[in-house]
Amino acid sequence: MSMTNAPVREPTDEPSEPAPEGAGGPGLEHREERARARRGLLIGLPSLVYLVLLFAVPLGIVLVYSFATRSRTGRTILGDWSLDAYGRLIDSLVLEIFLRSVWLAVVSTVICLVLAYPFAYYLATRSARSRAILLVLVMIPFWSNFLVRTYAWRVLLGSDGPLVGLLEGVGVEDLRLLFTPFAIVLGLVYGFLPFMILPLYASIERIDFSLVEAARDLYGTGWQAFRTVTWPLSRPGVIAGSILVFIPSFGAYVTPEILGGSKTTMLGSYVVRQFLSARDWPFGSALSFAILAVMLVAAMVYFRTGGKSL
Amino acid sequence: MTGTETHVPAGRDRRPDPLDDGSGVAAVALREVTKRFPGAGRKGGDDEVIAVDGVQLDIADGEFFSLLGPSGCGKTTTLRLIGGFEFPTAGSVRIFGDEMALEPPNKRPVNTVFQSYALFPHMTIEDNVGFGLKMQGVEHDERTQRVAEMIELVQLGGREKRRPRQLSGGQQQRVALARALVNHPKVLLLDEPLGALDLKLRQTMQLELKQLQERVGITFVYVTHDQDEALTMSDRIGVMDGGRVLQVGSPKDIYDRPRTRFVADFIGDSNFLALTIDTSGAAHLPDGSMVRVDGDHAAGSTVTAALRPESIGLHGHDVPHRDDLDTLDAEVERVTYLGKARAYQVRTAGTGGAVRLDVRQGNAPGSQHFEVGEQVRARWMPDSLTVLDD
Repeated sequence: MSMTNAPVREPTDEPSEPAPEGAGGPGLEHREERARARRGLLIGLPSLVYLVLLFAVPLGIVLVYSFATRSRTGRTILGDWSLDAYGRLIDSLVLEIFLRSVWLAVVSTVICLVLAYPFAYYLATRSARSRAILLVLVMIPFWSNFLVRTYAWRVLLGSDGPLVGLLEGVGVEDLRLLFTPFAIVLGLVYGFLPFMILPLYASIERIDFSLVEAARDLYGTGWQAFRTVTWPLSRPGVIAGSILVFIPSFGAYVTPEILGGSKTTMLGSYVVRQFLSARDWPFGSALSFAILAVMLVAAMVYFRTGGKSL
Repeated sequence: MTGTETHVPAGRDRRPDPLDDGSGVAAVALREVTKRFPGAGRKGGDDEVIAVDGVQLDIADGEFFSLLGPSGCGKTTTLRLIGGFEFPTAGSVRIFGDEMALEPPNKRPVNTVFQSYALFPHMTIEDNVGFGLKMQGVEHDERTQRVAEMIELVQLGGREKRRPRQLSGGQQQRVALARALVNHPKVLLLDEPLGALDLKLRQTMQLELKQLQERVGITFVYVTHDQDEALTMSDRIGVMDGGRVLQVGSPKDIYDRPRTRFVADFIGDSNFLALTIDTSGAAHLPDGSMVRVDGDHAAGSTVTAALRPESIGLHGHDVPHRDDLDTLDAEVERVTYLGKARAYQVRTAGTGGAVRLDVRQGNAPGSQHFEVGEQVRARWMPDSLTVLDD
């Protein structure tokens, strides 16, 4: 092979075959490959450093603490390793809080899904212009502080707030909205609805609507076409959205703290209490890892079902 | 005629024109069908698009009917109006006599083969083909049997459990056909079903489709922008442009007797000749030479006639005149080698203006060839000159 028609390196994803001897210098393709890998590392380095320093290391510290013991005065004793903190996870109080957290997170997720699906569908079927406007509207709440917005609900739901007043006006008596599971679910749905809408929108928007027409053409009613085509094809979005709502709802701290009462403690608040008031760092760490485990399972469900379908 | 390169097999126009014979009800009858789409701008703005404009069409039972036209001519919208994916702004859509203009697709006895096939990606081939039967509530056993038969018919046996993605383009196309035909529709609508295939496969599939249609005897309404496809497969063709049906006829009709300039130009190539009719009714070219034309035309009027490049024979300047042929003497201006043919541009030198003709001459052994500057004699049969309506 002469140098004039020497190997043109094709930008291919396939594994490149070893270059034949004497074709434009030995190992040219390998060097290219190594250079590409180096560039990749360079680009990824900042975020890698960030993740290791601020995520992996603290997580490791929490893990170490979860095996430590607590002294009577609330000091954490490192070196006296035990599994006591994990043993306490099956306390009935912890289980109650755990189940309540799962339950409220599931309810919030389902409500988000029911509210978000029609909207996401509507969004995905608009013209490009209306879509842009509607998407901005979905994201506008993010522009103001979450804490402030949650406090606003406290005013709205309070016993002298407009909602209670309105309901008492139509004859409902002794109504309490604030500091109830209802208030928590409301707050969670309010806070996390966009996390459901966006992945749903993304997956519905990708659906080829001629498939829906095909289903209608093949004697399906509108509902049947939805059930057999649109719904299964939007499932990746349903799963992604559900995970994105479930995980922060399950570990929520701000919302149950502000809108929930003492009888509706959720895991997030409980963990914080271990660190701040109970000064039981090992138990708080163990709780954190239990939450992490639940979330990992949720994420695995996602990658198992959503990841591989389509 | 020498060097004729016609797309039209003989005996194509065997079926009677359903508009003329009163017997039997049309498979599809469109009456004054109009479809307007709102424009991109404000509601009620004047930028709305008239996709289909007062279309009248009768498609006979068992016919292979093609809607042919450039993109944006309204052919796909017309098909979608028949399928029920669009509702007409005005007019009537009857399928075997039943008014269907406002019925949803699932209430119509028609099925569609979509342009990109629209196979359900999350279902197996079997489930794709059986979808329509399932929706209609056909019993499991009968369904299984009919699906199996249909998969066999389109030669996809052994691939029942695969997903559409695992099949080639041609195979996906067959699945789309099977999925529609298994329902025994009264009319099958096909929206450029071969557009995504490469040339060789497309030609094979054209033949297969035509044979399949003859075997199942179902009315096919076929949308295409490919004139060869339409000419090869159709019993009749409706040529569309600007939302209107310009001409309906057999492929031979359409090709040999185009009624408008658009049809003559869109299907094949044409020379457009400006003819002046003198007081005795004879037609003259701008260069003064006289040609024979069909029909009576008002004295002193000007008409346009179309003449196919391949209908013209080129000969040496000394070839004798023949009474049955019209003749023009000309000089070769340009020669282009096309492989299977040569394209000539020749120019007459008459008293008035010059006339330029495009001539297509086949490359069969023994056929005469000419060089630029040679004097030639162009001849054609008078009936291959078609006077246009516009």
